[in-house]
Amino acid sequence: MAEATAERQRVAARATPETRPRRRRLGRVPWWVYAILGFAASLSIFPLYWMFVVASTNSAAATQLPPRVVPGGNFAHMVGVVFSTVPFAQSILNSFIIAGVIGGGQAVMCALAGFAFAKLRFRGRNALFLIVLLTMTVPAQLSIIPQYTIISKLNWVDTLQGVIFPGLASAFGIFWMRQYLATTMDDALMGAARIDGANSWQIFWRIAFPIVRPAAFVLGLLGFVTAWNDFLWPFIVLKSPENYTVQIAIQALQRSYTVNLGLAMAGSFLSAVPLLFVFFFVGRRLVAGIMEGAFKG
Amino acid sequence: MTTTTAIRPAPGLARIRESLPERFAPYAYIAPFFVLFGIFGLFPMAFTFVISLYEWDPLGDKTFVGLHNFNTLLTDPRFWNATENTVSIWFLSTVPQLLIALGLAHLLHAARLRFANFFRMSLLVPYITSTAATAIVFLQLFDAHYGLITWFLTLFDGNPINWLAGRLTSQIVIAVMIIWRWSGFTTLLYLAGLQSIPRELYDAASVDGAGRWRQLTNITVPSLRPVIIFTIITSTIGGLQTFTEPLLLDPGSTMCGPARQCQTLTLYLYEQGFTDFKFGYGAAIGVALFVIIIVLAAINFALSTRLRGAR
Amino acid sequence: MRSSTRVAAVAVMTLTVAGALAGCSTKGSSESSSKDFSFWSFTGINAKADVQAYEKAHPDVHIKLTEVGGSTDTANELTTALAGGKVPDLVLIQGDDLPKFVQHPGNFVDLRTLGASNIKNNYAPAIWDQSVAADGQVLGVPTDVGGMALSYRKDLFAAAGLPTDPDQVSALMSNWQDFLKVAQQYTQKTHKPFIDNAETSIFYQAVNQGSEKYYNSARQLDYSNAQVKAAFDLALQGVQDGIAANLTTFTTAWSAGLQKGAFAVVATPSWMLGSVRTNAPNTSGKWGVAKIPNGSGNWGGSYLAIPKRAANPQAAWNYIKNSQSPQSQLNHFLTSGALPTTIANYSNPQLLGKTDPFFSDAPIGKIFTESIVGLKSFYIGPDSAQIGTDYLSAIQNVENKKIPASQAWSSAQSAIKRDVGQ
Repeated sequence: MAEATAERQRVAARATPETRPRRRRLGRVPWWVYAILGFAASLSIFPLYWMFVVASTNSAAATQLPPRVVPGGNFAHMVGVVFSTVPFAQSILNSFIIAGVIGGGQAVMCALAGFAFAKLRFRGRNALFLIVLLTMTVPAQLSIIPQYTIISKLNWVDTLQGVIFPGLASAFGIFWMRQYLATTMDDALMGAARIDGANSWQIFWRIAFPIVRPAAFVLGLLGFVTAWNDFLWPFIVLKSPENYTVQIAIQALQRSYTVNLGLAMAGSFLSAVPLLFVFFFVGRRLVAGIMEGAFKG
Repeated sequence: MTTTTAIRPAPGLARIRESLPERFAPYAYIAPFFVLFGIFGLFPMAFTFVISLYEWDPLGDKTFVGLHNFNTLLTDPRFWNATENTVSIWFLSTVPQLLIALGLAHLLHAARLRFANFFRMSLLVPYITSTAATAIVFLQLFDAHYGLITWFLTLFDGNPINWLAGRLTSQIVIAVMIIWRWSGFTTLLYLAGLQSIPRELYDAASVDGAGRWRQLTNITVPSLRPVIIFTIITSTIGGLQTFTEPLLLDPGSTMCGPARQCQTLTLYLYEQGFTDFKFGYGAAIGVALFVIIIVLAAINFALSTRLRGAR
Repeated sequence: MRSSTRVAAVAVMTLTVAGALAGCSTKGSSESSSKDFSFWSFTGINAKADVQAYEKAHPDVHIKLTEVGGSTDTANELTTALAGGKVPDLVLIQGDDLPKFVQHPGNFVDLRTLGASNIKNNYAPAIWDQSVAADGQVLGVPTDVGGMALSYRKDLFAAAGLPTDPDQVSALMSNWQDFLKVAQQYTQKTHKPFIDNAETSIFYQAVNQGSEKYYNSARQLDYSNAQVKAAFDLALQGVQDGIAANLTTFTTAWSAGLQKGAFAVVATPSWMLGSVRTNAPNTSGKWGVAKIPNGSGNWGGSYLAIPKRAANPQAAWNYIKNSQSPQSQLNHFLTSGALPTTIANYSNPQLLGKTDPFFSDAPIGKIFTESIVGLKSFYIGPDSAQIGTDYLSAIQNVENKKIPASQAWSSAQSAIKRDVGQ
């Protein structure tokens, strides 16, 4: 009885998260938690690893039974063949350009538009925002036929801009930026700035943008990853090998009468490398941003 | 949705007329987005509805046929086949994914977990791997004759499974690909949700004598409700649009199996539009898909919010 | 943190500018001189070698080659391009896909305006005529024909007690019924599949041997064509006898099967010899080539055509004239094995004497030429490719046990009606 009361007092005494004791009351983390998490992590990584195994051996390794799980020494050679079969370096560059412009463009445009929807008052604001919301539910594939017609009338078939421009407008980005600014940017700040005579652009540049920058950065990252991995639209638009993105290039490796699996695997692995590389540097930000987005959203 | 209840500027200042450029500034800010959105988002959507009323062979000509395409659609067994496939793939990929994510998030939430960042980042690796590369690998892993997974399963039960040949088995392969790709992302979302639940709630509950299971159902799940709803809606919308996996599972074909056993609606749309070159009919399929997504998303939303209300 | 975001912002700006510039520049990077041209060809037939040979002989010409994909992929891309995109100057079209394009001749340059009539007599008339439209416009020049033959693994035949000498093998399986009998014997003895699959190696071969295919002589789709049904039933018989390995042609599993000797026989037109060579280099010397049951037939063969909106039709035509001359076609045959369409070559001793060490020095020139000697030219209608796929799928469905054999024919028919009728 006395213990319960003491316990209750102790609970009540915990005022803020900062004074929470770090240790879980039940003790250390059990070994099986690590086992399961390790299993999940290895499942996540295994396909990439196996890709590397095949890419560094030869085609036959993919169909070997019992399966081969150890890398071979052939990777450099395979890479060479990939680069000479499709213009792979060019396709990586194309992907970077497309994904970079889309990611950066989305971040900037959606921050700007999100600011306007969140903090400025103008006629039609709610109606326009509702339209944006509604279109989030519509699948991209719905519009590919007319989109293709528009692109071909603009003479943008088989060009990078034919892939970039349709990918720039992200309804989700608007939604998220607006949400973020509405919850984190203090109206008081804005009121004070207006009293000082600032116009909306100065408010955006001096106040809103610094606040939204981390989220915009994450939005840009997400846009980058999505655009990098996008397959359908580039597949329809791009025709000449020198315009291929990485995804189309590795699918081209698969698309022939002579199916060279080692080649396809090497190409697939290589296509993941640039993104892994970027991920290595900004991965933590991406994780934080995804989690923060969930929290604020 | 938030309301802007904030400190208002003094009443006098509020009546100062904004200068003309100021009044149009907001439109300037949203213009870049809306221009692009209008050309490449709204207009094609509207135009798809229009095209669906025509029969259009790109090598030939366009003829107006009214609702004929939709009539054909309703009696087209391939359309219904694709619809069934789409819904079952969605179900097979969403339910396990959300459950796995919930479980993993719970484990990752343990305080004092070492290598937390390593686990989180490794779970995101599938997300950044491209769909094309994923499909090529999984196609091999699940190959009926020489696949690693097929072989592994024969160690338990004799006969190798011909994954692509069967309806359920081919859809399982696609579902596995989707689950593999998205579980990590969803886990992080749930993890964030878990971390925002104040620990006092749990401590108070344990003091009150609630066991771990009660804590889970009475505290964790209700607090995670918004995030769970969000993931259900987004995976509904995304899952119903599955395209790349079925396309690459049967290389060289847009049917996904000779009996179309894993052909989704989007793939059927693509087949009719860009392989059979029936642009009008393809657009009609697109319209039907749109309706299905709206209906299912609305049902999901209603169900999930109603459940919240029931508590 | 702040500086890294600034760096990122700068990077984004740079990429945006770079992107804009790159976007503008790719638009303008098309052909520089009128002697250069763009060329769409298939993968897997080593088109690069031909292109490079031409460029070597004509140093002032630069050819932009795109290996688009398989023959169907290339035909689909071409259709999309004709509908409103960028068209190549020169395109390779497979025989099964050609009729669809011949129906709308306005999409292509009438090669008579470039001089096709002068070279017409070099080519086998039945093959040349496939590319002639209703009003006489010539849309394409034939590059090769498939012919037909049976490639078999000598070592596997020997292990099963079957003869290995090509003439003996040809005599043993001189018609499809005998073929199925031998197949059953083999499978019963070795418990392994005889052939890679039934739909391609049996149906596709048999159906290309008749005097009519899917369309009758009145150029109408014939749903109850007896010859097609006979070929279809042969394939179904093969499935039921369990002699097929159920490996779809040109998949990775099929490729692995070739390497591992999962089956003993595969039907190979002349252009497919190259596929066997590249997919299973480890099996060199173990193959023999025998006559296809029923002796003659043709599967495959392509045409070079010039789309109407081509920027450099003359340059493309020069390539056609040059690379499809009798001598060039002979050289092409000697390196790749694809059978020429030029009549003069059929009696050329160099061609007739050609042997292939990969296939145990089989006289491939002689075999394939003889297979097209008795060739009856049938009308390939516009939807041939689609119809063929529907029959193929039906057989595959029986192999996968999705439908019983008794329903296969009707399921194929209803699929065809749905695809072609609408």
